[in-house]
Amino acid sequence: MGCKNVMVYVETAESKPVNVGLEMLTAAKEVAEKVTAVVIGAADAAATAIAYGADDAITVDAAEYNTEAYAAIVVELVKKYAPEMLFVGATPNGKDLGARVAAKLKAGCVTDVIGMKEADGKIVLTAPLYGGTIYSDVTVEGTVVAIIRGGAFKKAEEPDTAKEGTITAETVEIADLRAKIVNSVQEISESVNLEEAEIIVAGGRGVGSAENYELVKELASLLGGVVGATRPVIEEGWVSRAHQVGQSGKIVAPKLYIACGISGAAQHISGITGSDYIVAINKDEDAPIFEISNIGIVGNCVDALKIMIEEVKKMQA
Amino acid sequence: MEILVCIKQVPDDSVNIKMNPATNAPDLDIATPIVNAFDTYALEMATRLKEAIGDSTITVVSVGPDKAKDAIKTCLAVGASKGYVVKADATDTISTADALAKAVAKIEEAEGVKFDIIFCGKESTDCASGQVGTMLAEDLDVPVVTNLVDIEKIDAGISAKQETEEGYNIIEVAMPCVVTVTKPEYEPRYPTIKSKMAARKIPIGELEIGDVVAPAVTVVANAEPPKKAAGVKINEETLEESMAMALGMMRDAKVL
Repeated sequence: MGCKNVMVYVETAESKPVNVGLEMLTAAKEVAEKVTAVVIGAADAAATAIAYGADDAITVDAAEYNTEAYAAIVVELVKKYAPEMLFVGATPNGKDLGARVAAKLKAGCVTDVIGMKEADGKIVLTAPLYGGTIYSDVTVEGTVVAIIRGGAFKKAEEPDTAKEGTITAETVEIADLRAKIVNSVQEISESVNLEEAEIIVAGGRGVGSAENYELVKELASLLGGVVGATRPVIEEGWVSRAHQVGQSGKIVAPKLYIACGISGAAQHISGITGSDYIVAINKDEDAPIFEISNIGIVGNCVDALKIMIEEVKKMQA
Repeated sequence: MEILVCIKQVPDDSVNIKMNPATNAPDLDIATPIVNAFDTYALEMATRLKEAIGDSTITVVSVGPDKAKDAIKTCLAVGASKGYVVKADATDTISTADALAKAVAKIEEAEGVKFDIIFCGKESTDCASGQVGTMLAEDLDVPVVTNLVDIEKIDAGISAKQETEEGYNIIEVAMPCVVTVTKPEYEPRYPTIKSKMAARKIPIGELEIGDVVAPAVTVVANAEPPKKAAGVKINEETLEESMAMALGMMRDAKVL
C-alpha cells in the first residue's frame, strides 16, 4: 500500500453520490490501507459510500453547496483526521473545492487525475497536459489534494450493502461567508446523463445547422442513447451546454460513441478515449478523429445520419 | 478603480503537442506562444468593466520568462495600460500563486495603488488545473468568485454572474477580490494598428520578488497517451455502400 489513509469527498446531487464520488472509492482502495468518505449535507449518502468501498464515513450537516463553506468543512476534517491524500471529483464544484482546500492547507494539488500508481514508495499521479496530448506523471510533497477526473476509475459493479463501517457525524462551525450567492438560476432543465450513457451520438460543426442537428438527436433517441456535442456546437446554440463532451465538458466512456462531423480536436478526443467503440463520420479523410475510431466513414455526415436512421428503424421494425 | 489581470503565455492550444524524443520533453517549439484563451476573456471582461465605470486602470502581470513580454504587449493593445513580467522559480500552482501574491504587493508599492479587483482566467489551456486564481485569493486573504461570465460594479462591491452546470449564480462580493473568468458570450476584441503602435511604446516592468515557496508538485515523466489501435477507414464509391459496410461491421461487433 502506498499510503495509510485517504479521505474521499463524495459529492452528492439530490442527496445521492455523484458517479465520480463512487469511482474515487475504487481508486482510493487500491492505494490506501484505510478509506474514509466524507459527505456534506446528505447524511444518507454515507451508507452508499461504505457499500461502494469506503471503510468508514464522516457526515457533516450543512446547507446547500457553497465552495467557501464546504471548503472550510473539508479543511477542518483534513486537519483533524490528517489523511495523507484527499480525493475530490473533478466536477465544476469539485475543482473549485479542491483548489480552495489545497490553498488553505498549502497542499500540492493535481487536477484531472486519470491514473495512479506506486513507485519507490511514492504515489505517482497521472494528469493530462496540453489538451490531453501529453500525459504527465507527478509526485507530490506533503499532503496531496487529488482532483480526480470522472470516468478514469470504475465504481464497484455491485454495492456491498452488507458491509459494515462506522459513520461519524461531525460539526464544523462556519465563519461568515464573504461571497454571497444572492440568486441561483436554473436555465437548463433537461437532465443529460452523458457520464453513464451506454450509447452517445455526438455532432460537431460539420453537422452544419440546428436543423441538421435534429438528426443527431433522432438517431440518439432511436438507439436509446444520449446526445453529445463539441464546443463549437454549443457556441452555435444548437444544443445546450449540458451536452458538451471533452476537456471543458463531460468525460465519457460509453460502449458506442458515434461522432458526426467532428474533426477531432485534442480537447474533444481527450474526453472520449474511454469509449469502447467509436464510429466517426467525416467528409475530411484526414480528420484526426479517424485515428482513434474503430470505424471511420469518409462522407457527408448529414446524409450518413439519414441512412443510419433508416437502417436502425428497419432493424427495430 | 484599479484592476489587475493575471495572464499566462501558453503554447497555441490548437496545435497538438508531441514529445520530442531527443529531449524526452514535450516539444513546445511547434506551437506559437499566445496569451491563454481564458486570460484573454478575463482581460476583455476587465476592459468592458473599465469602459462601463470609467476612471480605471488595468495592469497586466505574468509570471514567466522574458518572452512572456510578447504576451503582455498583446494585452497592452487591447485594454491594459501597464504591464509587468515576474521572474520566479514557480513550477506548480502553489509557487505560481505565491509569486503572483508577491508581485501584487510589489506593484502596489511601486505604483502607489491598491488593486480593487484581480482578474484571472479560470484555467490555462496548457495545464488546465484551474487552481491559481483561488490560491492567489487565499494568499492575499481576499474573497474569490470563479467561472464568471459577466461582472457588474455595485455599491457593495461587485455582482458576478457565475456559470454553473445548470445555469448561473449571481454572487455579490466586496472588494478587494479575485475573480476567475470562463468563456463569456462575447469574443475578446482585436487590436488595431493604432493600439498596437501605442502598446509598443509602453515599457514593461520587470519584477524581482525574491524566493517563492517551494513547489509541492514535481513532474517525474511525460509521455504521449497510449495510441488506440487504428481502425478501419471506409471510403466506397457511394455513401450508401460505405454505410452498408459500416453498419454490417457494427452489427458484427454487436454495438448495434
